[in-house]
Amino acid sequence: MTSQQAMPLELRRDEPRARGDGPPERLVDVDRQRARFRVHRSAYKSREVFEQEKQLIFDKCWLYVGHRTEIPKAGDFVTRRIGGRDIIFARNRKEEVVAYFNACTHRGAAVCRETHGNARVFTCPYHGWTFDTAGKLVSTFMSEGYRKDLNEDRRLDLPRPALLEHYRGFYFLNYNPRAISLADYLAGAKDVIDSYCDQAADGDQGLYVVGGEHAYSIRANYKYLAENSYDGYHVVPTHTSYIEYLAARAKGTADEAVVAGTAAGFRGRGSARGVGHGHAMLASFVPSGRPVAHWLEVWGPKVKREIDANYARLVSNYGQERADYLAKMQKNLVIFPNLVFNDNVGLTLRVIEPTSAGTMTVRAWGMAHKGEAPELTAIRIDNFSNFLGPAGFGSADDIEMLELCQQGIEHAPTEWTELSKGMDVNAPDLRVQEGAPDDECQMQAYWTQWDRVMRGIDGFERPEGK
Amino acid sequence: MSANLTTMRRLDVEDFLFHEAELLDNWKLPEWTQLYTQDAHYEIAPLSADDPLAADPDKSIFIVADDHERLHLRANRLMNKSAHCEYPHSKTRHLISNVRVCEDGQNLRAKANFVTYRTKGGHTASYMGEAHYLLQPEGDGFKIKHKRCVLDLDTLHDQGRLTIIL
Repeated sequence: MTSQQAMPLELRRDEPRARGDGPPERLVDVDRQRARFRVHRSAYKSREVFEQEKQLIFDKCWLYVGHRTEIPKAGDFVTRRIGGRDIIFARNRKEEVVAYFNACTHRGAAVCRETHGNARVFTCPYHGWTFDTAGKLVSTFMSEGYRKDLNEDRRLDLPRPALLEHYRGFYFLNYNPRAISLADYLAGAKDVIDSYCDQAADGDQGLYVVGGEHAYSIRANYKYLAENSYDGYHVVPTHTSYIEYLAARAKGTADEAVVAGTAAGFRGRGSARGVGHGHAMLASFVPSGRPVAHWLEVWGPKVKREIDANYARLVSNYGQERADYLAKMQKNLVIFPNLVFNDNVGLTLRVIEPTSAGTMTVRAWGMAHKGEAPELTAIRIDNFSNFLGPAGFGSADDIEMLELCQQGIEHAPTEWTELSKGMDVNAPDLRVQEGAPDDECQMQAYWTQWDRVMRGIDGFERPEGK
Repeated sequence: MSANLTTMRRLDVEDFLFHEAELLDNWKLPEWTQLYTQDAHYEIAPLSADDPLAADPDKSIFIVADDHERLHLRANRLMNKSAHCEYPHSKTRHLISNVRVCEDGQNLRAKANFVTYRTKGGHTASYMGEAHYLLQPEGDGFKIKHKRCVLDLDTLHDQGRLTIIL
């Protein structure tokens, strides 16, 4: 680059600073009269914003821990980083689901260094302090010299996150002891989770997490992935090659025409909507098939009968309208701030863990229905790794987009990101509006909540005295 | 005598695996697909599996579990500009070593250590592990019936993603 080219760019970069120092007071700018909804880019890249988010969002919101079927037996455990803290999620000897910090109360070392397993106790490798599966300190190695009532006040047990609750088998924790209940927090997202559980013959008792997980990373702000996870607008341009893949597989079958109509029909089927507290969803039609309703010829005739029976069961249990919603639409849900449910072919979960303002790690699991034909489970799993995984035909391209975005906002002088598509300017609360599947109402719901939390309007806390 | 035969066999297999690596490093993916039989599978086992060789792609989440048709579609996709994750193509270097060969009926089983480097956009990632092959003799050479890569990684946090073919 010549110095002549460099000069105007430098000038443009300095321009916003000349008007005032740093980012504006409000990072989410909504102007209903001009149908404008935009987010200041410091929300995606500023270290100060990220430090505030840790306190105001990750220390106050309900964060996903795991599913009950990941720890079916007494002593089963998994270890996970949740909101920047290392947690052991376990089933204790009484078969209760518990969670505690993975750090010895003596000097701080991790008491468990495995990702999953079954244990009777956790022994700290440093001085041999031992904790049971409920996190209670049960012995101190060579304890002569300690006073007898060393742990009388139980302060040397592994500390627990303030709250641990579940909704239909999905466990969440909260680091704030004054937080509202999980059920209140989830608001309208409960109905969406119901729409996942109710697809299984035994409801949430019929859902389980299958083996294997994906763990990868993205060099972008975590909110970029939250947005991408239910962004209908990007489906056709970003995922052309995935739609071409579906077309190649459907070639010569009755599904060929359905795949060919994907782009043209996208806006007309389903919706993007906020369901309260910043949670929002996208219901859309993507022709990759559904084991509860939409049989594809490439899956072979063997599974058709079971898929038809699944759909008939849903119609009989829930009525035609609800059954079609449960069975035929793909439903992507983002629970504020960092949990994604993708109900595409099968149900999958994705937890986004920010590691800095511009980086994140991602952990993802797939679910299947107990008792279904092994072929149907295989179909769910196949779609998960083929589309959503780090080597998939979909997510890998999404990741490239998110990293391009992060690189762009780090250098370009554009201050605001435009997120106004489809905004309902008359909605009393932008957190519960509805738009077309390729609109941006779901992101407006997320950012409206984000703005309220960051400005201290909402803390998701019970009123004083309750 | 049989030891010599095995050594010869191993040299043939090494040449074949080096050829596969060269095709991949040169992004000759359509040619790469020609190394596989019509019923072939190409897989990358789950990182969290307790026994990655016994893992079943119908029951647990693999990183890649391609049948022959998808292996072709994966190769075709990656040759296309619309595969954003590999546009422009990354630079890769596939290194193969510690090759071991044994007979399995008419076929051969081969095991090799690998390290593959990928550079794109100023970032370099390495993927290391063990590749398990089931090779079917064909003419003077072989075709791959099954290839399963087992990575010596517990997450892809350092690598980000895995969009090349190993």
